[in-house]
Amino acid sequence: MAVNAENNNVVNNTDTNTNPNTNTKKDRGWFWKNIGFWFVPVKAGTLGPEQWAKVRRMSRTGKRRTRRLVFALLWAPVLACEIAVSLRVVRVDPWAGLISTAWLAILLGLAVRALRIGFAQVSLEDRAEIEYGVEFEALKEKQRGEVFQRAVRDGLFGRVKVDEHEAELRLQAQGAAYRLLGPALLVFVTGYWAVCLFGPFAATRSALAVTAVVVTWLAALVLAAPTMIRMWTQPDEPEETAAVGE
Amino acid sequence: MSFHNRIAVLRAERKLSRATLASSVGVNPQTIGFLERGDYTPSLELAFKIAEHFELPVEAVFSPRPFRTLSEQVYKLHQREA
Repeated sequence: MAVNAENNNVVNNTDTNTNPNTNTKKDRGWFWKNIGFWFVPVKAGTLGPEQWAKVRRMSRTGKRRTRRLVFALLWAPVLACEIAVSLRVVRVDPWAGLISTAWLAILLGLAVRALRIGFAQVSLEDRAEIEYGVEFEALKEKQRGEVFQRAVRDGLFGRVKVDEHEAELRLQAQGAAYRLLGPALLVFVTGYWAVCLFGPFAATRSALAVTAVVVTWLAALVLAAPTMIRMWTQPDEPEETAAVGE
Repeated sequence: MSFHNRIAVLRAERKLSRATLASSVGVNPQTIGFLERGDYTPSLELAFKIAEHFELPVEAVFSPRPFRTLSEQVYKLHQREA
């Protein structure tokens, strides 16, 4: 395939939205022309070379492991802050506590979704290759702007196409999370029982013990779930009475 | 066990972009990058799809041992023929 033909093919792909990572078909929609555009901080053709270098450096932030580690470490204090806010509000008014907790949970969910999209996002350089078939440096100023706008839009509103690599990465992450969850739940349940039995709550001890029993069985249910799911989904294993092919 | 592949070489040889190969075999373009860098070992299904795309046997694209360079192989072939 000739280079030009290839480039044309790439550009045509962009036009017909066959590429899963660039929702360029939406660009032609009313929403993106009139409203979505305002979500993108930079208009096409307004940046100089130095500013583009800065933008490209910034866009690579999520691709560096050390920076991702910093974000992961920030996760615990953010969660602690959210719990503290929810506890403070719930003491004042239980219903307000429910609403604030739900809001914080939604915000947290959106943040996790954004991170998930960010993982699957291609870099600006790769986008240039995918959408125009040339390196980012070789793009015209307007095209650079368009590439950047699409990257930001996809980052905010895009979807992740789950191919086998993405599915495996998720499975690995979920497996690791579950391995952490096991001991964490054991520690939590033990601590809960300790507080219920030895804490200064003589008047409500029996009620607390009931919640401790419920928490224990919920933890057991969660920890046993993978084995139960495997038992449910694994197909029959036929006995091999003869050599295969006979 | 790490596997080696010739995807980058074959792609360059055929002037194929990652996106074209990716859409042809049904994965994200980043996955092709991961494969080329050796950061990901594909499933059998994907390995066969990629080999099929290049119209080569799977062992010509993937190998458990490092590949000899194509130029070296071509040179040795010419020597044998001479």
